[in-house]
Amino acid sequence: MTTLAPIICDNGTGYSKVGYAGNSDPSFVFPTAIATRGPAAQPSRGGPTVPSKPGHLASKRGVEDLDFFIGDEAIANAKTPGYGVNYPIRHGQIDNWDYMERYWEQTIFKYLRAEPEDHYFLLTEPPLNAPENREQTAEIFFESFNIKGLYIAVQAVLALAASWSSNKVTDRTLTGTVIDSGDGVTHVIPCAEGYVIGSAIKHIPIAGRDITQFVLNLMRERGEMASVPPEDQLKIAGKVKEMHSYVCQDIVKEYRKYDAEPDKYFVKYDGENTVTGKSYSVDVGYERFLAPEIFFNPEIYSSDFLTPIPEIVDGVIQQSPIDVRRGLYKNIVLSGGSTMFQHFGQRLKRDLKQLVDRRLDASVVASGSLQRSSGVEVDVISHKRQRYAVWFGGSLMASLPEFYSFCHTKAQYDEIGPSICRRYQIFGSAT
Amino acid sequence: MSNVLRPYLAAVRSTLTAALTLENFSSQVVERHNKPEVECGTSKEVLLNPLTISRNENERVLIEPSVNSIRVSIKIKQADEIERILCHKFTRFMMQRAESFLVLRRKPVKGYDISFLITNFHSETMLKHKIVDFIIQFMEEVDKEISEMKLSLNARARVVAESYLTAFAS
Amino acid sequence: MILLEPLNVVIQTTLAEKCIKPSSLDVQFVDFDNVRFHLSTPDRKTQLLLSMNIRCWDELAQYGAVDVLRREYDSLYLATPEPDYHVSLAIDLEQIPPEGEARDSFINSIALLKRNALAAPFEQAFKEQKKLEISGSNQGQLMQMHYRDEEAIYVRASADRVTVIFSTVFREETDRIFGKVFLQEFVDARRLPTIQNAPQVLYTNRDPPLELRGVPGLKSSEDIGYVTFVLFPRHFSNPDVASSTISHIQLFRDYLHYHIKCSKAYMHSRMRHRVSEFQKVLNRAKTEVAVTERKTVSGRSMISR
Repeated sequence: MTTLAPIICDNGTGYSKVGYAGNSDPSFVFPTAIATRGPAAQPSRGGPTVPSKPGHLASKRGVEDLDFFIGDEAIANAKTPGYGVNYPIRHGQIDNWDYMERYWEQTIFKYLRAEPEDHYFLLTEPPLNAPENREQTAEIFFESFNIKGLYIAVQAVLALAASWSSNKVTDRTLTGTVIDSGDGVTHVIPCAEGYVIGSAIKHIPIAGRDITQFVLNLMRERGEMASVPPEDQLKIAGKVKEMHSYVCQDIVKEYRKYDAEPDKYFVKYDGENTVTGKSYSVDVGYERFLAPEIFFNPEIYSSDFLTPIPEIVDGVIQQSPIDVRRGLYKNIVLSGGSTMFQHFGQRLKRDLKQLVDRRLDASVVASGSLQRSSGVEVDVISHKRQRYAVWFGGSLMASLPEFYSFCHTKAQYDEIGPSICRRYQIFGSAT
Repeated sequence: MSNVLRPYLAAVRSTLTAALTLENFSSQVVERHNKPEVECGTSKEVLLNPLTISRNENERVLIEPSVNSIRVSIKIKQADEIERILCHKFTRFMMQRAESFLVLRRKPVKGYDISFLITNFHSETMLKHKIVDFIIQFMEEVDKEISEMKLSLNARARVVAESYLTAFAS
Repeated sequence: MILLEPLNVVIQTTLAEKCIKPSSLDVQFVDFDNVRFHLSTPDRKTQLLLSMNIRCWDELAQYGAVDVLRREYDSLYLATPEPDYHVSLAIDLEQIPPEGEARDSFINSIALLKRNALAAPFEQAFKEQKKLEISGSNQGQLMQMHYRDEEAIYVRASADRVTVIFSTVFREETDRIFGKVFLQEFVDARRLPTIQNAPQVLYTNRDPPLELRGVPGLKSSEDIGYVTFVLFPRHFSNPDVASSTISHIQLFRDYLHYHIKCSKAYMHSRMRHRVSEFQKVLNRAKTEVAVTERKTVSGRSMISR
């Protein structure tokens, strides 16, 4: 009997990435949104309305809960009267299990067209996820969907695995620092041998959404947005960010370059009014290099969060156990769409190296110049699969032949119960 | 509530209320231990006579009192295969979340579907009559819930079958 | 979503994307019932190769699947499929219809690859029924498709009908019981006046129906069931009706299992609701513990735990 490819489901706060193991890209990337009959998301988590009497009209039909859309269709139906859009995942964690269960149901049957009974599944979870959440996830997958086997992996670990595809990586290690920056939030997560060092994780409240907003502010200030209809402005800012932004090595020099030869560096962005069809064009200038700069100089955007990302990374590594710090400096891995800026890795590496060297120098001086350090290697890995790094890492892992032995199978679940999913064996570790 | 059910629940309520006279009691066997005696059963003299209240052969409640804890086990009505599986699913779902239910036992006593264990620590921090209320309400609603689930399953199956077959006719 | 679509969404979206912007790719994916697909660009970016591995290919080929696929895909169909796969289609992106309806229907026809392959025995049975009706002889040949490891579809034409039998196995107790409820409703649903025209459905547990008596290799156990659909000539009277009947009946097993799973999901949400209600009742029993703020002499407050 041939076993069918395992299914990888990476459900993030903003987008879900789903597909089959062995591929390099997810088959589907769509918003983690579900449009159901009834009002839109309310923060309270009320269950489904259980009909008061069995003879009630609602229970006669009995299938209202199948009337929903997910992903792009959910967004498209947001304006349809009677439907409301809900986001079942908040801050990386599942907030509404009812919606999530139905979201998975349609992902599997409508989009992937897989019979879950024939497949193994690899799901992802954020760092520091509560074990109860794992149990609930296992309960849904094993009891509702009868899947063959399940593995729940920590996103950061998969991002590390994804970096193995880079030709810069020689030894395949699961020790490293992951900088995961999506739409809503950025995490810096240290991992040692496949285990997340939970106490040292740091969150940065700057991510994709903030960068877009910042681009928008800059363009508005310069008056470029005057010709753009207000409802399209945010979208244009997002496009400009994705298409034209890069990280510079020195802001002052970059400004000078732009002022000396504006024709060379200013680019045009052409758009079309979605309503009237009139075309317009905007000049894109300094925001090209200023946008990602908010990671390195947050003061230009926010007034309450002021620590640059290299310092955060350094702090995270310094908080980790001393015996893994070298490994953490040596293998800094980027993941998520907001780390895709050109030269992001180089800049981070340079700034971080400076911090580390300065500290080493200080310690040399403090020791009376008697002890000299051999130096600390700092390296930031950028690779092609950065955008969907977590999914890709999952795809790599699940296509290994050992994957099946790491999964908990349906038989094991039936024997022991959901608590079996509290623990998963780390890839590559001894049994 | 049907008239047959009422005396049954009333009997359970008064028995439970009477049985919920618990006091702190340290283990006589192991020093510095304080365990629910009804569970460990190491000292016979602190266990009271267990009692069964039975509505019919399918529905009964077993109450096992002791000096510092009582165990209430409930057998839920299961008329057919579907009710049996639904009942099993429901009780397991609930016991999976026993952590937040405090008085719920993670496993039922043999021969019953669900068990509660109330210790003196519970009766000290919670209102006694409200605990009894909870168990009575559970008994009342679990039957209702299971029959509603069964109805909705049937209704669903009908709609599903009809939609499938209608597609042929068109 | 109540009914399942016969289209494969992965093929559909990937092709639509590649039509606009060709790029090299190599993806593998699946469809219901152990069907594996491989979509790749072996030579150049505009030359797509779509291969399908289907479990019961040998049986399908016997019942004329190759002819059906040749008819549907014409020159796209490759005589020698990719190794390890049974069917291969070569799609040249430079020769696809222009954007618009023509292209959409082209893409959709490719996304129906699995459906078309599985359609062969049904088409053959429909033809055979016509012949039998004229000749007045009794029964046609019994066609078997072992489309899953433990389950099979049997198709047999008779003078006045075509019988389609699905053998179903439920691996789990819950599924078995839920499945029984569903199948019972399938049998009963025909009483409704609106769906009198639907095929007759019969369900037997354990014992194979009359049509299958004497077929070797039938397992007998408690968890096996047989669902019989009796298709009358009105279900395949003209090509359109016949083709929609085929698309529809193929997905019966997936439809049934999909809905069993949906019901379990629905039960879960009901139970979640009910359990949280119970939780509220129990929480009412908790006495309010008066929280007095304890402070040290220097004014620092203590936090318990």
